Amino acid sequence: MRKGVMAVVLFWAAGTTMADINVDTLARTCNNCHGLNGVSAGATMPSIGGLPKGYLSKIMKEWKYDKRAAATMNRIVKGFSDDEIDALAAYFSKRRWLPVAQKTSAVQLKLGKSVIRENCEDCHGTYGNDPDIDAPRIDGQSTEYMALELEKYRDEAFDMPHRKMKKTIRRLKDGEVTPVVDYYGAQKR
Amino acid sequence: MPAYDRRAFIKALSAAPAASILSISNAHAAKVKARVVVVGGGYGGATAAKYLRLLDPGIEVTLIERETVYTSCPLSNEVVSGERAIETLQVGYKGIQKHGVRVVHDEVTAIDPAKKSVTTAGGQNFVYDALILSPGVEFNYGAVQGLSKELAESRLPHAWKAGPQTLLLKRQLEAMPDGGRFIIAVPKGPFRCPPGPYERAAQVAHYCKQHGKNKAKILILDANDSFSKKPLFEQAWKALYGYGPDGMIEWVSGANDGKVERVDPDSLTCHTGFGEHNGDVVNIIPPHSAGKVARDLGLATFKNAWCEVKPESMEATGQKDIYVIGDSCVGGDLATNNAFPKSAHMAMSQAKMAAAALVAKINGLPLPVPVYTNTCYSVVAPDWGFSVVHLYRVENGQWVYIKSGSGISPVTLGTPPKPVPRIYRRLEAQYAEGWLRNVLADAFG
Ligand SMILES: Cc1cc2nc3c(=O)[nH]c(=O)nc-3n(C[C@H](O)[C@H](O)[C@H](O)COP(=O)(O)OP(=O)(O)OC[C@H]3O[C@@H](n4cnc5c(N)ncnc54)[C@H](O)[C@@H]3O)c2cc1C
Ligand code: HEC
Ligand code: HEC
Repeated sequence: MRKGVMAVVLFWAAGTTMADINVDTLARTCNNCHGLNGVSAGATMPSIGGLPKGYLSKIMKEWKYDKRAAATMNRIVKGFSDDEIDALAAYFSKRRWLPVAQKTSAVQLKLGKSVIRENCEDCHGTYGNDPDIDAPRIDGQSTEYMALELEKYRDEAFDMPHRKMKKTIRRLKDGEVTPVVDYYGAQKR
Repeated sequence: MPAYDRRAFIKALSAAPAASILSISNAHAAKVKARVVVVGGGYGGATAAKYLRLLDPGIEVTLIERETVYTSCPLSNEVVSGERAIETLQVGYKGIQKHGVRVVHDEVTAIDPAKKSVTTAGGQNFVYDALILSPGVEFNYGAVQGLSKELAESRLPHAWKAGPQTLLLKRQLEAMPDGGRFIIAVPKGPFRCPPGPYERAAQVAHYCKQHGKNKAKILILDANDSFSKKPLFEQAWKALYGYGPDGMIEWVSGANDGKVERVDPDSLTCHTGFGEHNGDVVNIIPPHSAGKVARDLGLATFKNAWCEVKPESMEATGQKDIYVIGDSCVGGDLATNNAFPKSAHMAMSQAKMAAAALVAKINGLPLPVPVYTNTCYSVVAPDWGFSVVHLYRVENGQWVYIKSGSGISPVTLGTPPKPVPRIYRRLEAQYAEGWLRNVLADAFG
């Protein structure tokens, strides 16, 4: 347990060049909802550790400047400077993506796979781990979180900016949403 | 994979031995840099103990907690309404032990700040270099005439500490006849979980509606004149349960004689200054203050009830090397009436700051730039939730409430104001569950 103890000294404000930003302290406040290292322990909250820096920073700035709707996050990020948002994005992008494989039935997997072939794999990859440059990994992402995100895309009243995602998701039949998120949520590669 | 934070946080080290800045050298030689004792293994204490070890495994951490199983208060109002089993809120201390925290199940009875030692009911003694207190709250039953600890445990449960009383209150609600009256008495603030009583009112109403008790009445007798997330609660109560003198939920403010001063446990009558209210279930939340161990040290200097602490570290203003976190402390932007809410989320935020400040101090490094955050979800029906977020920073040694990073879920949207689409409320009801699982994992996992 104690190995390395004698060989360490604290190094504050590492990971950022801005003197008055302590990104570790800021990032620790995210753990309450996104888990240690950004690996979520709750199915309705997303894992964020290991997502690309550009994606993380873009999403948070869209919330900050009211270009993207959210239930909770938009209020949280409004208190942070753009530099702090960039530092947080850098911090979480440096964690490792740890897919949390969530169980589902063989029937769901089969149905999910066929819907994904047709509608999603071009942009997200067959397993969700090989996305387009502007899309996040979703292999082993929290299933209920993904289902709620897709609900946002399907609801006229919720302002999601990505037009192609919106179009694709609105095309899905009601019964196709659950198998699709179950499939991606079950991946661990 | 590099251990959490340590990589960024701790760097290749010379042989800087230890507790250089701490005033006492209880830490035994080379191996252990410092000994920290944490009293209370709730959201605050468990988080502090765990993060101390994550940030610097050279620190020896002992957590002293009375109980072997912790029951989360957050979302325990759903246990009262039958929406959730109490087991989903319970967690043990194995997770904390995995981080190398020594967990002792005993009750702390005395602290000697001169000798820097802690004594327990079981006769154990622990010496510390630094002490973190997170003992939660102590209920002041004497403040409501006729109330006592015995009554709270048998007939008048407050259920403001989740556990057996939560289940007792649930049984009382189940036994309440249609047309029955459920009284919730709210003490003068500050109290633990500012939105909690109003969430409870909604959960009780939800139960009544689900079980055909449509003539039930939930009467909130309040010592205060306003409350947390008031417009959101009132909107939801109105839409879901009926609100006001003719609705299922009614709220009586302090200014309207809402403060309960006396209770007759036999007739279940609550006496306010000028009136009396009979209930079928009487749920009086007694006023409370900092936990006893902190009070006994004379640290509860704020309104004779709460412990004052330093904004940059959570160290008690009145006592060196003793840190007070969680519900027991008072903090925040008091000048603008934006005190820290007494929430689990806040307790964890304070715990992480205290741990980081202490680790810096032990290693002779400058204190980290502080930031404190809170989010509190309230669930008023299975598909209806909302939240409040708070952000505080420290400027010139004082807490500053950051308005731009704080606020409640929207009550209306746009100009001219339109109703908030239902999906927002549905989402936050779901997010509350994800929050719960993550805070339990972050504090105890
Ligand atoms: C109904 C209700 C709903 C709530 N909902 C929410 C919510 O949705 N979100 C939120 O963030 N917060 C919520 N809260 C508030 C939250 O429960 C508290 O703010 C939080 O528990 C505070 O943590 P703490 O560590 O200060 O105290 P506690 O969690 O009470 O922990 C204190 C611990 O110390 C131990 N202890 C005390 N004295 C001693 C001693 N002498 N020796 C040994 N052990 C001791 C106790 O056994 C206890 O385990 C709610 C509270 C209630 C009552
Ligand atoms: C109170 C809980 C809570 C806290 C604290 C919190 N988040 Fe979130 N986060 C959420 C929720 C809920 C969502 C889903 C979006 C929404 O609000 O509707 C989310 C979504 C996100 C996403 C989008 C993930 C994706 O895959 O697209 C990012 C990025 C994010 N949060 C970053 C952060 C950072 C960084 C912090 C710390 C500064 C933080 N969050 C703190 C609750 C929280
Ligand atoms: C045209 C490319 C494209 C297609 C097709 C597509 N997506 Fe996406 N998806 C994206 C992009 C880009 C994002 C990020 C959007 C943003 O940044 O606003 C995204 C986001 C998501 C998210 C949210 C991830 C997170 O972490 O918040 C989920 C879930 C998702 N997609 C699932 C699907 C599913 C399921 C399908 C098929 C039914 C699908 N997508 C089809 C490009 C696509």
